[in-house]
Amino acid sequence: MEQQSVPSKTGVVGAGHHSVSSRLSKAWVREHMAALLFLGPSLLVLGIFVFYPMLKTLYLSFFLTNDAGEGTVFIGLTNYISLLKNPSYIASLVATLTYVILVSAITVVLGLVLAVAANQHLKGIKIFRTLFSSTMGVSVSVAAIFWLFVFNPSVGILTQLSNALHLPVLNWMTDPKLAMAAIVITTVWMHLGFTFLILFGSLQQVPSSLYEAAEIAGTSKWYQVLHITVPMISPTLFFVMIVTLIDAFKSFGLIDLMTAGGPNNATNLLVYRIYQDAFLNGNYGQASTESIILTVIIAVMTLLQFKLLEKRVNY
Amino acid sequence: MKRSKIFGMLALLLMFSVGLAGCVKTKAASKTKIVFWNEMTGPAEVQLDKFAKQFNASQSKYEVVPEYEGSYNGVVQKIIQTHGSGASPALFQSFDISTTQLGNLKLATPVQKFIDRDNYDMSKIMPVAKKFYSKNGQQLSMPFNTSQPVLYYNASLLKRLGIKNPPKDPSYSDITRVATQIIQKSHGKIKGLSVEEYAWLLEEFMANQKEEFANHDNGRSSTPTAVKIDTPAARTAMQWVRDNIKKGNFMNYGSGSNAAANEMAAFLSGKLGIFLQSSADIGQITAGTKDKLGVTFYPHADGHKANGVAIGGASLWISNDKPKNVQNGAWEFTKFLMKPENQAKWQEQTGYMALNKESQKTDTLKNLYKKVPAAKVPSEQLARTVPNDANSGILLEGLVQERVLTQTAMQQIYGGSNISDSLKTAEDGMNTFIKNNNKANGY
Amino acid sequence: MELMGPIPTKSRLEAYAKVAKYGFLIFLMLIVVSPFILGIWTSFLPTADIAKGALFSSHMTFQNYVDAVTTTPILRYLFNSLVISTITMLAQLLFCSMAAYAFVFLRFKGRKVLFYVFLSTMMLPFEAQVIPNFTTVRQMGLLDHYAVMIVPFLTTAFGTFMLRQAFMQMPNELKEASDIEGLSHLQYYWHVALPYCRISLLTLAAYSFLGSWNQYLWPMLTTFSDKFRPVQDGLKQLQSQETFNNWGMIQASAAIVVIPTLIVLFIGQHYFKAGLNEGSVK
Repeated sequence: MEQQSVPSKTGVVGAGHHSVSSRLSKAWVREHMAALLFLGPSLLVLGIFVFYPMLKTLYLSFFLTNDAGEGTVFIGLTNYISLLKNPSYIASLVATLTYVILVSAITVVLGLVLAVAANQHLKGIKIFRTLFSSTMGVSVSVAAIFWLFVFNPSVGILTQLSNALHLPVLNWMTDPKLAMAAIVITTVWMHLGFTFLILFGSLQQVPSSLYEAAEIAGTSKWYQVLHITVPMISPTLFFVMIVTLIDAFKSFGLIDLMTAGGPNNATNLLVYRIYQDAFLNGNYGQASTESIILTVIIAVMTLLQFKLLEKRVNY
Repeated sequence: MKRSKIFGMLALLLMFSVGLAGCVKTKAASKTKIVFWNEMTGPAEVQLDKFAKQFNASQSKYEVVPEYEGSYNGVVQKIIQTHGSGASPALFQSFDISTTQLGNLKLATPVQKFIDRDNYDMSKIMPVAKKFYSKNGQQLSMPFNTSQPVLYYNASLLKRLGIKNPPKDPSYSDITRVATQIIQKSHGKIKGLSVEEYAWLLEEFMANQKEEFANHDNGRSSTPTAVKIDTPAARTAMQWVRDNIKKGNFMNYGSGSNAAANEMAAFLSGKLGIFLQSSADIGQITAGTKDKLGVTFYPHADGHKANGVAIGGASLWISNDKPKNVQNGAWEFTKFLMKPENQAKWQEQTGYMALNKESQKTDTLKNLYKKVPAAKVPSEQLARTVPNDANSGILLEGLVQERVLTQTAMQQIYGGSNISDSLKTAEDGMNTFIKNNNKANGY
Repeated sequence: MELMGPIPTKSRLEAYAKVAKYGFLIFLMLIVVSPFILGIWTSFLPTADIAKGALFSSHMTFQNYVDAVTTTPILRYLFNSLVISTITMLAQLLFCSMAAYAFVFLRFKGRKVLFYVFLSTMMLPFEAQVIPNFTTVRQMGLLDHYAVMIVPFLTTAFGTFMLRQAFMQMPNELKEASDIEGLSHLQYYWHVALPYCRISLLTLAAYSFLGSWNQYLWPMLTTFSDKFRPVQDGLKQLQSQETFNNWGMIQASAAIVVIPTLIVLFIGQHYFKAGLNEGSVK
C-alpha cells in the first residue's frame, strides 16, 4: 500500500512504474496462491478437528445434554461450579497431579541414572544402550498386559515372591495407594526408553574436558554428576520433564486397561473421567466441562514448555 | 541416511503388510449382511458364534456377523451415538437397565411388529423375561440372555474340609458361618467369600429385601425423580460384607472385568470357597473344574424373608435405521436363537436360563440337570418369586451412571469407609444426575 | 599371608571397578527388561501351569502362539495398525513439510498470525475434543473405517514446528541459487528442501508412526469391527473376551505385537537417535 502511494505522491509516473507494480502484484498473487496451496490442507484439518471441536466443547460445557448428547438447557457456569464443588472430581484432580508429578520425577531421575551409566567407555556398552532404550518400542496395551501379569493377585510374580519370602501379599489392584503405584510404575517404565535416549544424547554433548578437569581435582563420580552433568544438561532435563508431564496428563490407555479408574476413583485421572462421563454415562455436558478444564491445564503446561524450549534454543 | 535405505525400510514395511494381508482372509459377501453387536465373553461368545455359523449355513439369504463390542456399560452410548450412521448394527444386544433409555430414544423397531406380522407364538417365552422388555403391552425387544444372581460354592471343597453345605435359601449369617469354617479349617489357605464390587449385586440385595430402588414404583407409574441407595437393606448387606472382611474370610478382587476373571480363576483353582455372581457363570464353572459345584438362592438378610431377585442379562433389539430386508434378517436370526433346542444349548453352555418353555423337554437340558443338579437352582429361584415392584427391575434412564457411582461406594466400603456416608454420596450423585437428565430431556 | 594372595595392584583395583561397573549396568538392565523377559517367558508356558502359579514348566510350548494366530484376529489387528500408521505417517510428512515450507519460504499476509494459530493447537489436547470430533466423523461417514483413524491426524502442529526449524537452518545460498535458476516453489520444495532435511523428516516419520501406532482412545470410540480395529484396542478386545484368564495366549499376543517393534527399533536405533538429537536439541 505504502509503496504504491509513494510514486503517485512524488509524481514520478512512467511506463516503468506500471510494469513494476504489476510484476509486484503478480508475485504477490503467486506467493499467496502458493501459500494457500502449501498451508491449505493443514489449515483445513486443524480447523475441522481442532478449532471447531474446541469451540463446540466450550459451547456444550454451558449446557445440560439430553439422551442424544445435544445441549438442550443452557445453565451458564453451573457445570463448572458443581464440578469444582464435587469432592470426587477434586479427588480426580489431586490423583492426576500426584500421578503426573510422580511419573515425571521418577522417569527423569531413572532416565538420568541410565544415561550416566551408559555414558562410559566400556566394552559392549552399546548393547546396554540399546536395551536401555528398548521400552520405546512398547505400546500402551503391551505394557499393560505385561504389568497386569506382574501385579496379578493370584499368579503374579510379586505375589509369588511375597509368598516365597513369607511376606504379606499385596493386593495391587484393590488398594487405592497400590493401584496408583502400579500405574505410576508402568507409566515410568513405558517412558524410560525415550527419556533415556534424549538425556543420553545431551550428555554426549557435554565437553569431556570438564570431566577431565574434575578428575584431576580428584572429585568423586557422584560429585561430577551433580555438579557438572546436571547443570550442563538442566535445560534438557526440564524439557524432558515437562514433555513427560504433559504426556502423563493425557494418560488414558493404561487406566482403561489396568484399573478402569478404580478403586474408589484413586486412579480416575482426568481423561479417563471425560471418557467415563461422556461415553459410559452419556453426560456430555459435564464431560465437555471436564474437557475445558483439562485444556486449560495442558495449555499452561505447554506455554511453560515453549518458554523452556526457547531457553534451550538459546542455550 | 541414504535414500536407498529409506526406500529399503519402506519396502520392508510394504512386504510385511502384504504378507499379513495374505494371512487375513477376505470373503465376498453376496448375502445380506446382518451386523450383530453383542457383549458376550468366554463360553457365551463361543456359543453365540456357533449359532451365527449354524444360522448362516441354514439359509442363503442372510449372513449374520457377530461383533463383540466390549462391556455392557460401554455399549449403550455406542448404540445411541452410531444410530443412523453406516457403522450402526442391524441387531444389537443391550442389557436390562438400558431398556428404558433405548425405548425412549426409539432406536429400534419394536419386535412386536414382527411378532404380529408372523403370528409368532410368544406364549412359549418365559413371562417374567417377556414382561421386563415390554412397555404398554408392546414387546420392545426380545429377551435373550437372562440370568439370576446366585451363590456358588465348591461342594467338593466343603466335603474335603468336612463342612456342611449352606442351605438352599441361605441367610447372611448362614454364609458367614460357612465362610468362617472354610478359612479356619484350611488354615487360612483358602478364602471363604467374595462379593465383587459390582453395583448389580447391591441392587439385588435391595430387591431381595423388598426395597424399591427408584421412586414412583421403581419407575412403573411414572418417570422417577429420585433413587434411594442409602437404605436399611443396602446397609445391612454392606455390613455383612464388612463383617466377613473383619473376620478374614473375605477376598476382594476389586471391580470390572479383570476382577471377575480373577475371582473366577481363584474359585476354579480351589483358592476361593464361595462367591456371588450371575447364574451365567455356571457353564464356565462346570467346564473349568472337576470339583462338584454347589449353587444356592441369592442370600437374604437375617430376619427377612427373601423377596426374590430381579432377572439380569440382556435383550435383542432390531435397529430401525436399516432397510427392511436387513431388519427381516435380524428378526429371522432372533427367532432362530429362541428355538427350544438353541435355548437349551444356550443354557447348557452358559448358564443363562432357557427362555423357551419347550426347552425343558429337550435331552440337552435333561442331561444337564442329571449331570449338574445345581444348574436347576436359578430357574427354581425364579419360579418361587412372586413379582412385585421391588423385584421386577428398575425403569430409569442413566442407570449406567448409577452403576459407576454405586461401584465406587462399594469400593469405599470394602476399603473401610463409613457405610452410610458412602452410600449417601452415591445416592446424592445419582439424584443430581436424574434431576439434570429429566430437565435436559423434558421429562 | 602375602603368599596367599598378591597385594592389590592398580590394575587389580581397576578390574574390581570394572566388575562393579558392569554389575551396576546389568542391574539397571534387569530393571528395564525384566517385564519383557517375564512376559515373553510366560508366553511359552502352558496356561494351566501359569494358573497354578508355576513359572517353570517342563513342557515349554509354542502352542500359545499357534492359538493366538489361529483363533484370534491378532494378525488382522497388526495389519490394520500397519496400514493406519503408514498412511498417517506419509500424510504427516507431506502436509507438515508443506506447511513448514510456507512458514519459512513464502512471504504472505498473516504469516505470523497463522504460525501462532498453528502453534496454539499444541496447547489443545485431542483428548478434550473427542466429543464433537466423534459427531464430525460420524457425519462424514467415516466411522468404523481406516479413514477415521487417519483423517483427523493428517497434519500436526508439532511436525510443522519441527520441520520449520529444519528448513530455517538451510543455508540462504541454496534459496538464492535456486531463485536464479528460476525454480518454482514446488520445485524447490520437492527437489531441494525435502532432500536437504531428510534426517528431520525421518525423525518425524518415526514420531508420527509411533504416535499413530499407540493411539488407543480414538480407535476405541470409532471402530466397531475387527476388520478395522487397530492392534492396541485389539489386545484389549482379546484380553476382555478371555474370561478364563488364558494368560499364556494373552502374553503370546502381546509378544507378537511387541517383537516386530523391538526389532525395528534395534535396527533403526542409530538413525532414530541421530534424528532425535537433530530435531530436539537444535
